[in-house]
Amino acid sequence: MLELYHWSIAGTALGLVLIGLWGVLTRRNIIRIALAFTLADTGVNLLLVWTGHIPDRTSPIHDSTTAALNATEAMVDPLPQALVLTSIVIGVAVAALFVVVAVLASRRTGSADIRRLRELRW
Amino acid sequence: MIRSIFGLILVLVLGAIMVAVVPDIEYSEEIHGVGLHYTSQGMQETGSANLVTAVIVAYRGLDTLGEVVVLFCASTSVVLILSLYPLSLKVSRPSFIVAQTSRLLPAPILLLGLYLIAHSHLSPGGGFPGGAVIASAFLLVMLGGTAVPGSSRNLAAVESLAGLSFGLLGFWGVMKLGQFLNNLVLGTGTPGSLVSAGLIPLISLVIGIKVASELSSVFAAFRYKGGH
Repeated sequence: MLELYHWSIAGTALGLVLIGLWGVLTRRNIIRIALAFTLADTGVNLLLVWTGHIPDRTSPIHDSTTAALNATEAMVDPLPQALVLTSIVIGVAVAALFVVVAVLASRRTGSADIRRLRELRW
Repeated sequence: MIRSIFGLILVLVLGAIMVAVVPDIEYSEEIHGVGLHYTSQGMQETGSANLVTAVIVAYRGLDTLGEVVVLFCASTSVVLILSLYPLSLKVSRPSFIVAQTSRLLPAPILLLGLYLIAHSHLSPGGGFPGGAVIASAFLLVMLGGTAVPGSSRNLAAVESLAGLSFGLLGFWGVMKLGQFLNNLVLGTGTPGSLVSAGLIPLISLVIGIKVASELSSVFAAFRYKGGH
């Protein structure tokens, strides 16, 4: 089992994902759905960063304080952080497209309510 | 109501599954696999003090090129959709606070963005965050005035030029060392100094310019009035 410290980070990440999912499922305003979507995105990023995080270690940047130490024992893993940067950028791209489609949909129906988009129903 | 209950049940079930799965994530107090190589050899191999930047730009430079392409596709489609169906929003006068802030803050924001890009191999930051910071200065200027940007041809030119430079920097590696985006065409220099880490500062600069122009054109597209 993980101790409390790790559960606090992983729990926050999972909580964000679940809140985002709940928002996507139950909200009716398109902009709120977009916000919920980015919230879930943030949760996933946090979980990924946590997998490379090790307590009491520095960020993976060499400087005068880490020069005297063994880098592999003083730093956290740089790989998840680099991958999450990619994920954040893609998240921004998806969010931008989401907002554009949301704005166009709301102009088409005259309201931001997703129930008015009847063409998408089956 | 039924929708809320159904959503809540689904979320609770998924939450229970997640809580059950998380302890099985192979978490360890030591660095494993390729991360071990990055932390022990990264600075010697790339000359970059910031190992995250070393991974993004040097070890996984091709991935970053793909990432830049994804961002390019997204911003292009936003601009395309919004120029086909312009929002033609009525632009209201900015409030006093926004109007004054938009005169005061853009210069320091630009400076911070340039710092983040120039020091990408030395301190936290890099091309993507630096570009986003520069684009936020552009957004502030846009919100602080009533002018509506027309079709932003100059931004597109800057963006294309930056994308092209990224590819050409990659081919420099092919010419000199027989490997696309090889970081060592310029030599690693002394890690920790401003001019070091081979191609990394140049690629960060190119990424920063590209991200800044892409995000700026996305912001501008939302105010685009339509017509030519």
